Amino acid sequence: MIEYAIIALLAGAFLTPVFKRSCVPLAAILFSFLVMASVFMQGQTVIMKFSGWSPPFGIVWVVDSFNALMGLLVTGMAMLVAIYSTKYIRERRSRFFTLLCLMTAGLLGVTLTGDVFNMYVFFEILSIACYGLVAFNTDKEAIEGALKYIVLGPLASSFILLGIAMLYGLTGTLNMADIATKIQPDITFNMAFGFLIGGLALKSAIVPFHFWLPDVYPVAPSPISAMLSSVVAGTGMYIVMRILFTIFGFSGVMWMFVAFGVLTMILGGLIAIVQTNVKRMIAYSTISQNGYIFLAFGLGTNLGVAAAIFHLVNNIIVKSLLFLAVGIIIWHTGKKDMRELGGLGKQLPLVMVCFGIGALSIIGLPPLNGFVSKWMIYSATWEISPVLTAIAVIVSAMTLIYYIKAFASVFLGRSKCEIRERTPLVMLLPVIILAAVCVFLGVFPQAAIGAVESAAAALLNQSQYITAVLGGG
Amino acid sequence: MIITLITAALLAVMGAYCVVAKKNLLKKLIGLGIFTNFIHLMFISMGYLEGGIAPIITPENILSFPVRAVDPIPQALVLTSIVVQLSVTALALSVTILAYRHFKTLDTDKMRDLRD
Repeated sequence: MIEYAIIALLAGAFLTPVFKRSCVPLAAILFSFLVMASVFMQGQTVIMKFSGWSPPFGIVWVVDSFNALMGLLVTGMAMLVAIYSTKYIRERRSRFFTLLCLMTAGLLGVTLTGDVFNMYVFFEILSIACYGLVAFNTDKEAIEGALKYIVLGPLASSFILLGIAMLYGLTGTLNMADIATKIQPDITFNMAFGFLIGGLALKSAIVPFHFWLPDVYPVAPSPISAMLSSVVAGTGMYIVMRILFTIFGFSGVMWMFVAFGVLTMILGGLIAIVQTNVKRMIAYSTISQNGYIFLAFGLGTNLGVAAAIFHLVNNIIVKSLLFLAVGIIIWHTGKKDMRELGGLGKQLPLVMVCFGIGALSIIGLPPLNGFVSKWMIYSATWEISPVLTAIAVIVSAMTLIYYIKAFASVFLGRSKCEIRERTPLVMLLPVIILAAVCVFLGVFPQAAIGAVESAAAALLNQSQYITAVLGGG
Repeated sequence: MIITLITAALLAVMGAYCVVAKKNLLKKLIGLGIFTNFIHLMFISMGYLEGGIAPIITPENILSFPVRAVDPIPQALVLTSIVVQLSVTALALSVTILAYRHFKTLDTDKMRDLRD
């Protein structure tokens, strides 16, 4: 049944330019969301064999509780962004929706697949759609950002392909579970691992490779910045975790990931403080939060991985919320610079409240969802080394500084711009829904912790995954 | 085999040098193509077999099939990857055209100066 989700998205992508109606892509994305929601509700491991070939010969899709959670988030965010974009995007709307459908199809394929080469192909579908969407505005800024993306992106993809080629040469199979049974602690396997992780680190902007992200994410249209910063970055994290735990079966503290995570956190936070462009600041904040996720799953403990997954979920929700809220401001004023904005709180009170909820959540204040996941990260790091906890708390304080600065300069103070139009309801609705989810998950964290813990258990239980795919062998 | 590997290594070095050191955007994209071709060459050489035959069983070759048939998977994967590379290159070139219209140059350093 899950294959229909992708078929609907691809069909939506091809039918949108034919009918030139916004309802076609909306229906496609809504359908895939409903499919993923039903898969998530069932809570069972689903194995989808293409053309009836049983693994390891054919391509399989394996949906365990971690994939199902990611698939639900990806399609859910795509749906909110699509609803938002019906008013935000004023021209060339059918092209925009075509690319959005392709992007969602790529994201969903990457999350659901159990085959490394299939993963690469969907990753490329996703990347090509992203290049197109970053360049969508076709102004000077957007073209420069897109060029940076389009030179570095394929380079990262080549490294991933090289890693996949090496894995195939060593094991003679492309199925993730089958590779996992044939892994040996060997220098050649470590090289393949290095190429894969290097390519993915470049794609998801971990510190030595973070330089391109702030030039790329903010120049896209705001709904696309929301998608890139939340689910595209999140999917990068997802694949890193999948490769690390399911294919290579690492356990114990991985200091390399902890070190890169800490560096990413600190650097992203420090640079974010001095930014004046709101979107650029949120992009740096994304880098910083990705560092938290890297740190948490680098610990390798059950609690650490659960904290990483919960923070991933929260980061996806909050970053979409922030970018969509900023998008409403840009839609009204056309300005991104904090120094030119001010006093918008009186004119856009709802946007101010929602942005405030998002900012407080990512800082990690109770009673919001960010607090719960950050608390889990603090307690997971405390078990390994209190120094890491101290660093995590200090970076949270930095987050506080730059979000307060952004909030104060955009919403408080003297009014510098005037807003004439009313905010369309379809743009306000996704923002309010996301803010409500933030508050709900903060007040009732049990609702999410159950799903997150079963996702972490599914991710860490490598032998169960292999048995589920290969059937006892 | 050793000649293939040396060629692949040369392609890798050339491609990486082009992407990193060249200032011209078109040359960077050409370098990207060369770098991807290094992976294709390496990948395809994994499935190479001296005197191999197509992996289709017929009554004539049923005995020699297990030893002589080549592995078709690397070829299928490289074909897919070539298609992917083609579409990425096409998109990159169209963005390059747009960049030339905005900046009137293809030099990446000058582009950076013009933006500020």
